[in-house]
Amino acid sequence: MNSLTGKILKVDLSSGQISDMKTPVEWVDLYTGQKGLGSRILMEDVSPATEPYSPENKVVLTTSVMGGTIVACSSKLAITTKSPLSGTISDGSVGGHTGAELKYAGFDAVDIKGKADKLSYLFITDEKVEIRDAASLKGLGTFAVDAKLKEEIGDEELKILAIGPAGENLVPYSCISSEKYRQLGRGGIAAVMGSKNLKAIAIRGKLDVCVNDLKGLLKYSKEVTERDEVTADDNEIYDLGTTCLVDYSQESGLLPTRNFQEGTFEDAEQINGQAFKDVRKNKKGCFSCGIACGNYVEEGDTSVEGPEYETIVLGGSSIGNGSRKKLIEFNSICDDLGLDTISAGGTIAYMMEATQKGVHDFDIRFGEMDKALNMLEKIANRDGIGDEAALGSKAMSEKYGGEDFAIQVKGLELPGYDPRGSWAMGIAYVTAPRGGCHMSSYPIAEEAWGELDPFTFEGKGKLVADMQNSQFCKFSMGVCDFWPIDDETLGRLFELSYGGEWPADKVYKTGERVFNLQRMFNIMAGFDRTEDKLPGRFHKELLKAGPPKDIAYTKEAFDAAMDEYYAYRGWDERGRPTVEKLVELGIEPKFIEAYKAVL
Amino acid sequence: MPLKFDLSKCTGCKLCQLACSSSHYEVFNPEKARLKMIHEYNDDGIRIASKSCILCKKCEKVCPVGAITNNGRWMIVDEAKCIGCGTCVDNCPTKIIFLNEKKSTICDLCGGEPQCIEWCPKGVISLKERKGASA
Repeated sequence: MNSLTGKILKVDLSSGQISDMKTPVEWVDLYTGQKGLGSRILMEDVSPATEPYSPENKVVLTTSVMGGTIVACSSKLAITTKSPLSGTISDGSVGGHTGAELKYAGFDAVDIKGKADKLSYLFITDEKVEIRDAASLKGLGTFAVDAKLKEEIGDEELKILAIGPAGENLVPYSCISSEKYRQLGRGGIAAVMGSKNLKAIAIRGKLDVCVNDLKGLLKYSKEVTERDEVTADDNEIYDLGTTCLVDYSQESGLLPTRNFQEGTFEDAEQINGQAFKDVRKNKKGCFSCGIACGNYVEEGDTSVEGPEYETIVLGGSSIGNGSRKKLIEFNSICDDLGLDTISAGGTIAYMMEATQKGVHDFDIRFGEMDKALNMLEKIANRDGIGDEAALGSKAMSEKYGGEDFAIQVKGLELPGYDPRGSWAMGIAYVTAPRGGCHMSSYPIAEEAWGELDPFTFEGKGKLVADMQNSQFCKFSMGVCDFWPIDDETLGRLFELSYGGEWPADKVYKTGERVFNLQRMFNIMAGFDRTEDKLPGRFHKELLKAGPPKDIAYTKEAFDAAMDEYYAYRGWDERGRPTVEKLVELGIEPKFIEAYKAVL
Repeated sequence: MPLKFDLSKCTGCKLCQLACSSSHYEVFNPEKARLKMIHEYNDDGIRIASKSCILCKKCEKVCPVGAITNNGRWMIVDEAKCIGCGTCVDNCPTKIIFLNEKKSTICDLCGGEPQCIEWCPKGVISLKERKGASA
């Protein structure tokens, strides 16, 4: 007995066929769950050359192998696809309760392909799985979809993944709302759902989840969550959630301000952790998690769970907005329309700077929040200039100019940390498989907020690669970022839940394997070192305040650090994993053969 | 001694329900818990509520075969006597009794050491002392 359900649900929206397959144990042993299993399922049938909006692309939901158990922070849900924004493999994950619900419905994963002939939603319970008509949901925001489906089906505990107008209108940075207020899917997973005419997925499950060694798991799980203070009430992450990072970034001089032109924001105190705590109505925890980082806030007529740190930056300091109320509105509008706050804010920031600099007049300037909120509607509805803004800052800068200040990597807008204030973050951004993202590794915790010198590249290639391997393992085996769990503890929890032997070196190796699998996909999709680059701004301009003041972040030093990174990874000078490395990692021969053909 | 809840502290993590189902059935399944926490967003904001045995003993009174008794601290179901008719389920004012494998299932405070209290990370759940009982 183990914590898998043993089944993968397969849905072909073109034919309407619903079936299931046994979860291949060899896939789980190599790639575990969530991120790793999602990548593996995607790559079974989806060629890296696949057009993201074609019926051949897939939307793959994967749970955690430990999902549904009592292990803290272990029930996230991942969704994997080929991104229409970056053209890379792209997976996002969401906390809350949806991942656990899918396990209780009896599935480790849901593998969706094809295109429905009319707008539909998928209804998954342990008793039946159906593709249902969604005509009445057309054009609705994600909040309304959540309420309507709960009412129609008559179950307030239904877990609903929904796309908004942005997803229906194929905005390549549209995201999915889960349980109304939690979001996933940077890089346009919602648009891929939209291209399949899939408006929502409603899930409810009532089956058991078993584990390999229940008594052992209960004892060990309690012991390590208490040891690591995952339950502590005085924990800053519990109290403030990610909003606590605003003060850290401001002090470190790397708080992106006015499109990363500056690293400190004069109104940071208006939008920091305390400011949002002042309007907090409730804390909200994810399934099986004692931290409860979620903040349910309300100001005026608007309520939202959030805003999280990245939204505070991209909808706040980076567009010159110091109004908490406007930030809550920005967050709520993005969630309801189904827009990624990071890419939406990053694109608007680009337009503001282009206007400020006279590169192109988009009639929107830093701090003009009413225009910014209106722009969100235009983007989601592909209305007027919104139709172009919907394509993101990279595409806009290629047409209108200002490529140095289109703050993105591989088309994905950067989150809330200026790499000039924490140098390894630059390496993290350019090597993250889905594009400019902070989730593949978070070296800022060791640099600007830790003990390491943030203004040197020495040893940073190794640092980022090591952190990525551990993160990829954590996000595949299925523990949230907020538990700073070590590989040994993670492996032990996995053994007690799933079985087998998972010593720390095997755990680490699993992360490295998944990271390389995603890199292989991208290389086969046409990427190499050429795209592993930062926007010109970071190398050409100096920050003028705080710790990074006047310290140059040169292209030459950065390139040298990248050489070190590739070498440490066992990749060639073009940033491609060597065949020897892939063999050493135990990547399946059929993938290695396909990979050899493009080298 | 029924359970009591300080709902202002609840974050909806369901650890209580997981502790309950694992201690009674050796599985994780919030639907098989003998208490239930609701923590859901809706149009009015957020709905936070609890459901648990309040020790009203109505189930004992309505049971047609005398399978349900109490020891003054919790309800006791004699599974050998229980015929799975569901009368107790239908009459439970808090709708917390359910049938598991055709047997009535009611909170037994885990025999005096409630695992929901043990696992709750926020101190939401405690035991309500009976009126007149000394501290």
